[in-house]
Amino acid sequence: MLAEFEAAHPGIRVKAEVLPWTSDEQRQFLVINLEGGQPGFDVMMLDCIWVPEFARAGWILDLTPGITPDELAAHFPSAVEAGTYRGRTWALPWIMNVGLLYYRSDLLGRYGFRPPATYVEMLEQIRVIRAGEKNRKLEGYLWQGKQYEGLVVNVLEGLWADGTTLVGEDGRIFPDPERAEQVLRFMRMLIDTGASPGWVTAGDEEVTRRAFGNGEAVFLRSWPYAVDMFEKPGSPVRGKVGLAPLPSHEAGRRAPGSTGGAHLAITRQTLHPAEALELARFLTSPRAQRAMTASGATKPTRMALYHEPELVRASPNLPRIHDLTLAGRTRPVTPYYVMMSTTLQPELSAALVKVKTPARSVADARRRLDFFLRDLQE
Amino acid sequence: MSPGGPAATVMRSERRAPGQGLLLVAPALLALGALTLYPTLWVGWLSLQRRIPIFGVERFEGLGNYIFLATDPRFWKAAQVTLVFTVASVALELVGGVLVALALRGQRAGARVGLSFLLLAWALPSVVTAKLFEWLYNPAAGLVNFLLGGVALNWLGDPRLALPGLILADVWRTLPFVTVLCYARLLAIPVELYEAAQMDGAGAVATFTRITLPLLRRILLIAVLFRTLDALRSFDLMFVLTGGGPAGTTETLTVYAYRSLFQAVQLGLGSAVGVVVFALVMLVAWGYLRALRHEGLAA
Repeated sequence: MLAEFEAAHPGIRVKAEVLPWTSDEQRQFLVINLEGGQPGFDVMMLDCIWVPEFARAGWILDLTPGITPDELAAHFPSAVEAGTYRGRTWALPWIMNVGLLYYRSDLLGRYGFRPPATYVEMLEQIRVIRAGEKNRKLEGYLWQGKQYEGLVVNVLEGLWADGTTLVGEDGRIFPDPERAEQVLRFMRMLIDTGASPGWVTAGDEEVTRRAFGNGEAVFLRSWPYAVDMFEKPGSPVRGKVGLAPLPSHEAGRRAPGSTGGAHLAITRQTLHPAEALELARFLTSPRAQRAMTASGATKPTRMALYHEPELVRASPNLPRIHDLTLAGRTRPVTPYYVMMSTTLQPELSAALVKVKTPARSVADARRRLDFFLRDLQE
Repeated sequence: MSPGGPAATVMRSERRAPGQGLLLVAPALLALGALTLYPTLWVGWLSLQRRIPIFGVERFEGLGNYIFLATDPRFWKAAQVTLVFTVASVALELVGGVLVALALRGQRAGARVGLSFLLLAWALPSVVTAKLFEWLYNPAAGLVNFLLGGVALNWLGDPRLALPGLILADVWRTLPFVTVLCYARLLAIPVELYEAAQMDGAGAVATFTRITLPLLRRILLIAVLFRTLDALRSFDLMFVLTGGGPAGTTETLTVYAYRSLFQAVQLGLGSAVGVVVFALVMLVAWGYLRALRHEGLAA
């Protein structure tokens, strides 16, 4: 793709730099280089949750003057929102993600069930299916409970499913602490009753994806990346997996999945702002995103691609993923998100593994974050 | 020892131009100063500030960061985790290392192959080791639970098991280091000593406690020094395997420092943790150096 860009833009040469695999290490690399003031690169990929933080730090260029609103309209609104801070555009949407529910359509079909709209329904379906299947290895609902960002996302989706949220209007976390405690209690209950296996407290995306992919569970909360793996030839669950919105806590209430993904931003120190923007534009163009979608792995931020016949033929779930993404919601768009998340992770984990009561966890997280944010309220 | 030998050497060195020795070590001292002393002092200075570069906060805070640490349960938990991890893993490595070295000594032919296999574990990058143990500890399909008779232990997700699981992984990884040190020392013990002991009718236990162990003492002290300092600073295993979880039960001081520095971007707070770890390491090193001096192993 870079070669194609260079061919189309004589005079511009692009050098790609490969960053460490995990998001944590990528961020560390970027923070160190940008804080040093001599980044040595022009365009960078940012996890969507870092954009406001990097913008506030003054590390990335305000792209607003060079970008027309029409250009952004083709992307998912939540992706555009994630690249916006203080009403200005700081990064171009590139890769899209959304939390969704995978279910075993063969098992649900055998017992005459439709994908569950509420958790109560889901628990009932798990009970009936496991009783009927008499397969001791069949788990109910898998999700990500390891102490890491994924746990925060799962809790966040739990809060939304219960009609509350993580960050209130005043910028404080857990605006409704009792609701938050209730959500944590519910997640504990999933483990206590065996609806989710005890090991979800060590489960990340890959651990849970593998178990579900081996046919060991009825439901899985994950991201769209897994769908093509489940449909690979030789997969034990091939042709037996359906996609649905996450269940809610109350009939009739929507439970959005958390959106995620990556954006392209340009360093403030760049010597080539025009060329860098040109490259970012090219990489986020329909053409480039189509090529990335066709290769599997990532999903595009451009909505139209989810309905292109050629792409849909190769990946029939695309239109469904489009709808689920459209219904998704961004994690709090705040410069303090990473700070919040890392503060929350051990506290939420402590509540799940019963080292603390949910009330204690919520209170401790609030106190700690208050210390961190003391001088920072805008 | 001939009477004139060592004394003459001392005489010669005293006749050197004053300061010549200092001149000779100056480059090394300068390099050390630039690479070690300066960053150490800088971290000490940072630890007295409230500094959040991303958000432009920068002011002198005095002991505020230390006061926060002193009242932060998560910090004390990290200190406790670090100490438990260090004591347990070093103790197990010492005992295991000596036992394996003894077993290897008995069979010189197989020893070379055995050592190569052991060293493989030590040569693996920690992150690879961590990933390996992620598989071994997998609750559903991991080898560890299989070997334990198909139990369903949630190694990395259970607050009671996660730290022991990490300690085992660390022992697996660094036991070869102790083994190799001990094995080399064992080979240097004259066989006559054992033959004499046998003639005196000493049993296996007496031979071990009266001959082998005293002769291993010095090398074990060195092993303890290296391993303790490493364990106090350990980071990669827990960072990759558990991220400090569940519930912070495997969060060591260095993981705590990392989270403060790079994730919460609290430079002052993270530096304060760094200073604490530094002090801890210096304290331990000082204690061991005293012990080694006592043994005549250090000046």
